[in-house]
Amino acid sequence: MLSAFTLQMDRQECLSYLQMLRFIIRRLVITIPTILVVITITWGLIRLAPGNFYTGEKSIPKAIEANIREHYGLDQPWHVQYRRTMGRILRLDFGTSLSYTGQSVNVIIARGLPVSATIGMLAYLLALVVGAIVGSIAALKQNSKWDYGSMALAMLGISVPNFVLGPILVLFFSLTLYWLPPSRWEGFISKNLILPVITLSALYMAYIARLTRAGMLEVLRSDYIRTARAKGLSESQVLIRHALRGGLLPVVSFTGPALAFLLTGTVVVEQIFVLPGLGNYFIQAALNRDEPLILGIVAFIAITLLLMNLLVDIAYACMDPRIRY
Amino acid sequence: MIEDQPTIPGDADKPEPGLTPDPASDYREGDVIHTAPEFAVADADVLAPERGDRIEGVSLWRDARRRLLRNKLAVFGLVVVGIITVASLAGPYIIQKLTGHPPDYIPPDAALIKSFPPFTAPDGSFSWTHPMGTDKQGRDLLALVLQGGQISLMVGIISTLMSLIIGVSYGAVAGYLGGRIDNIMMRLVDVLYAVPYIILVIVLLSMFKSQTARGQLILLFVALGAVSWLTMARIVRGQVLSLKNQEFVLAAKATGVSTPRIIFRHIVPNALGPVIVYATLTIPTVMLTEAFLSYLGFGVQPPLASWGSLASEGIQNIGIFPWQLICPGVTMALTLFSLNFLGDGLRDALDPQGSRQ
Repeated sequence: MLSAFTLQMDRQECLSYLQMLRFIIRRLVITIPTILVVITITWGLIRLAPGNFYTGEKSIPKAIEANIREHYGLDQPWHVQYRRTMGRILRLDFGTSLSYTGQSVNVIIARGLPVSATIGMLAYLLALVVGAIVGSIAALKQNSKWDYGSMALAMLGISVPNFVLGPILVLFFSLTLYWLPPSRWEGFISKNLILPVITLSALYMAYIARLTRAGMLEVLRSDYIRTARAKGLSESQVLIRHALRGGLLPVVSFTGPALAFLLTGTVVVEQIFVLPGLGNYFIQAALNRDEPLILGIVAFIAITLLLMNLLVDIAYACMDPRIRY
Repeated sequence: MIEDQPTIPGDADKPEPGLTPDPASDYREGDVIHTAPEFAVADADVLAPERGDRIEGVSLWRDARRRLLRNKLAVFGLVVVGIITVASLAGPYIIQKLTGHPPDYIPPDAALIKSFPPFTAPDGSFSWTHPMGTDKQGRDLLALVLQGGQISLMVGIISTLMSLIIGVSYGAVAGYLGGRIDNIMMRLVDVLYAVPYIILVIVLLSMFKSQTARGQLILLFVALGAVSWLTMARIVRGQVLSLKNQEFVLAAKATGVSTPRIIFRHIVPNALGPVIVYATLTIPTVMLTEAFLSYLGFGVQPPLASWGSLASEGIQNIGIFPWQLICPGVTMALTLFSLNFLGDGLRDALDPQGSRQ
């Protein structure tokens, strides 16, 4: 009978893997058109806008501009250019930058990415740890002053724009107390990272605290927690092994949108703290109308984001046995 | 920032109405949906016995109002938002009446330092002339902040209205028509959801940068409105799915009402609760995004100013004149804070059994 049971389990597991595979394929089928849509919109926006890279402050002689245009293939009809650009991007070759003459976009991205990724990841980790702890405490002591206090603080975190928070932190910790350096990039392990990471993580901390609280409140009330208590588990075991797992589910599903947030957040943080990350390059590219660089960064971000979202969804399915695709 | 607008953290753990068309999960005892059909009969009011319907109908909204007013934080939010709105609208005129100068008046004196801290006269003594101090050109910061409030609130409200119109129409049509059309329309929303839209907004705003401040502002409305309707569409679709099979719709169909009229006169008014809640929460997100874009230099352009652009000007001199960042920054944070509390309160009031126990 036992073997029959395991067999049945196996079949179910198998089925769920198949379903999972189908789900992944279906998501990929959506992902690819999405990337195409993003690139096309960006390309279209750059092309439809009046003016171009060469209508800058410096005017270039007509003949030289014609030469440059020919060199970059800009003299071809639009559909040829579109097809060429698209093909190149789909092979993950983003071309050469116009404003950073002679440098390939891939190299520029590879230079900026580690900076942005470091800040982003540290910020998300900090937010996850602090947010989960604060949110759990708020839920456990529902309607106490701890609950109201931490939730008001979380609301504040959502409401204060990071470009206001960052300079205020700098004003306080760097320009008044002289504890921390105000800006600059000095490698991956340095005191310079503390303020940017805190600035960036404030928003996620707030969201995660709120989500954890909501999730925990729901879970703490459920039957399986009552069962766990009834069978005599200690309170800390109930919390850590049972409640937290269910209570953090909303946080996992927040990770997808959070990644999008992190990207926009880093753009600001990199501006405030003068860090040579991807966001900084992107803003420069947009200001300079550097088409290959804009397209490259947008495409790169879109692809990363979509893949991450896919991973998050898979993780979600693994964590929550109720979810079947 | 706005997009994938998980502005309503409480909503994130609800099953996504767009993905699982399960009417049962959207339909709870005591929900807004239940008592709302009185809006639908408004058409046929002539036939309905006047009193019975009306009394029944008002009670839901009155109930919600009672719950809202009992929520101290929401009332706080409502009051603060009210004060700031009135001050932004009337303040600049009052200041002009009192001082005789327009809000962005630059004093012509040749003083070397033109930035004075709050409540300080040029000679360093206490004075009521500039309660928020002056900016680096010597303009009264309070007047600028109030004037900037007009722009910030305008961006928030107009962009939210745009997202409301697009989102409600789109979601309602998809939900009501159902079947293949619904499928295609919602797949499109899925695709757009995954677009890193803020990046696209930056590209849009920088590429089409308008020569005039007014042009840039309109571009901003369009850009922000165009990217923040997705969640609204999903919410409305979910509501419509649960409403469209109810008797009052059948009755409307039976009496020969046209499809667009059924959607917009009979179904949409009944889905208003969640729509209002979500719209209230969209305003602060949109305002935050506007400030973010203005900080980066893509948003509101001079001579117009918003809280975001004022704050971003203040950042340049943070070490010497900190009030130039803090005053607009804190005003903005306070407004967003209050709007968020108001939105949360509305959600609790209109959907008492919702995700926030």
